[in-house]
Amino acid sequence: MSMTDGPTPLHTAAAEQAAEDREASSKGAGKSDLRQRGKRKSGYFSDRWHALSRQQQWAFLSIVVVLAYLLPLLNPPIITTEPGNNFALACFDMARFALIAVGLNVVVGYAGLLDLGYVAFFAVGSYCAAMLTSPDSPYLHIPYLWTLPIAMAVTMFFGVMLGVPTLRLRGDYLAIVTLGFGEIIRILATIIPAMKGQVGFQNVGHPPGTEADGTPIFSNSNGVPWYWLTLTIIIIVTLLVGNLERSRVGRAWIAIREDEDAAEIMGVPTFKYKVWAFAIGAAIGGLSGALFAGQVGFVNNQKFDVTTSILFLAAVVLGGAGNKVGAILGGALVSYIPLRFTAIAEYKYLIFGIALVLIMIFRSQGLLPARQRLLAYGRTALNKITTRDAAKPDSADDSPAGPSSRAAGQRGAEA
Amino acid sequence: MTLLELEGVSVHYGRIQALRDISFTVNEGEVVALIGANGAGKTTTMRTISGLLNCSEGKITFAGEDITKMKAHIRVVHGISQAPEGRGIFPGMTVMENLDMGTFGRKDRSGVGKDLDRVFDLFPRLKEREKQYGGTMSGGEQQMLAIGRALMSNPKLLLLDEPSMGLAPQFIRQIFKIIKEINNQGTTVLMVEQNANQALAGAHRAFVLETGEITHSGTGKQLLEDPSIKEAYLGVG
Repeated sequence: MSMTDGPTPLHTAAAEQAAEDREASSKGAGKSDLRQRGKRKSGYFSDRWHALSRQQQWAFLSIVVVLAYLLPLLNPPIITTEPGNNFALACFDMARFALIAVGLNVVVGYAGLLDLGYVAFFAVGSYCAAMLTSPDSPYLHIPYLWTLPIAMAVTMFFGVMLGVPTLRLRGDYLAIVTLGFGEIIRILATIIPAMKGQVGFQNVGHPPGTEADGTPIFSNSNGVPWYWLTLTIIIIVTLLVGNLERSRVGRAWIAIREDEDAAEIMGVPTFKYKVWAFAIGAAIGGLSGALFAGQVGFVNNQKFDVTTSILFLAAVVLGGAGNKVGAILGGALVSYIPLRFTAIAEYKYLIFGIALVLIMIFRSQGLLPARQRLLAYGRTALNKITTRDAAKPDSADDSPAGPSSRAAGQRGAEA
Repeated sequence: MTLLELEGVSVHYGRIQALRDISFTVNEGEVVALIGANGAGKTTTMRTISGLLNCSEGKITFAGEDITKMKAHIRVVHGISQAPEGRGIFPGMTVMENLDMGTFGRKDRSGVGKDLDRVFDLFPRLKEREKQYGGTMSGGEQQMLAIGRALMSNPKLLLLDEPSMGLAPQFIRQIFKIIKEINNQGTTVLMVEQNANQALAGAHRAFVLETGEITHSGTGKQLLEDPSIKEAYLGVG
């Protein structure tokens, strides 16, 4: 499959881009107003971020990652969700939502396919883990960690099953079909005797390992190891998805999102790439479901309703569809807010509703808007392929980030 | 030599028949124009040739190969490239990225640089706007981008769907001049136009479509002089 054909040379491309950006912002102060027409709605921070060199970006990222790992141990006073909710468990829940949002972002953000039944994949992943490890299940029992890849494979299969007949539909029609699919999975879990409906499966497995006193490390009440496991998975998944985004596949997805017919007549096999987006998104949702089943230790048909689906979608839209970091942030926030402010947890749908309306009015691209930078890498690759000199004298002159970062810098200085 | 041949092609939208038994050919090296009023089936014909619509009857042959059942994205690889109606550029991508998308189906990456130079020669404006987002450009520039992007796949046959739509008169003349130049460089062009005067003047041969059927055909000059066409499409008579 063409899934493997070359991610563009990320490091050099990014370094060149960053160099261009810096050069552009150091040059031509007087020209910046002329170039306003090339300006995009993008945040001050994202411009600052892209102006950093690759090394600085990595250094900054590693600090963020270390802090993220330490989060449940630090238990920072204002941020903490205690005494209402155990903070480590809350962290796990945030990580779980973030992982789901990353998966849904592939479908909704990259390929532009509105999926209102994403919870179905989450449910399939949960049931996979439960039915293969719980003593309540009459079937084959395997170690918990093996259920993670199996859950991914099974949900991927379900993603393709749903995608092949329905991805010929577009827009609203597709959204309605996915909504139906979400309900079908939930109702199947209720009516198929083997899936035990509301009784569900107890004592779902967990990863191996015990403490000195014999209690398992991955227990239901201790969120820290689960959080670390999920965070590690998020980092791996984000790196993989990021590479995919910058590859040929990512370009095809963006083209499909922008204009499907035009993509098709450019030679993009749109159907194939849409199915891939569905399958990859489904696999990540299934993975998240399996983690959830393991941590909670109990799976029944009560957690997979439409509102949960909408909540997932809200996470992606809130964070910024098409931006994986935005999706992580959105997912974490959607989970965090009701846990932190327990007094208003009952009103969470009301609050998210209002928040979404406000976001749509004031920041319609989400908290962290997607920048179509991936094709800038494509351009660098194009220059390389055609053996044209990538550092043409005029190429540094008005790079897309240049004018806006310059303008942002000026605004910052005036303020 | 015949490059494209349509034999008895009919297209339906549900139960509504949009094209009835259309047959025509496009020879290599020609500029062929399809003219007709609104709803005559011009765009339907284009979308059928590029593969976005399936024909319910008939046969399409391209360069000696039957492509009736071929998917649109594979037709690009075989050498049919379309600049769609209403331009159909990717608004959130820069000019360069749009052009890059045009090469998506290409197998010979080595030829990309040459075609990029060719597009920039034809449309120096695109070179100036290289890093600008497609959606922020004017209509004429977007049209140039759509044609340039279609040329990036180095097609044998270029399909232009209303290249003059919504453009200022001087832009229209410029676009037709460029179409001529593209043709002189060896690309066969099939275009659909409302601007019958310009299209007939620039085309080797032309067909007139009326309610899904071809009613007139001939060289561009013949049709320009045909009194019934004059009356119906040229606004003089």
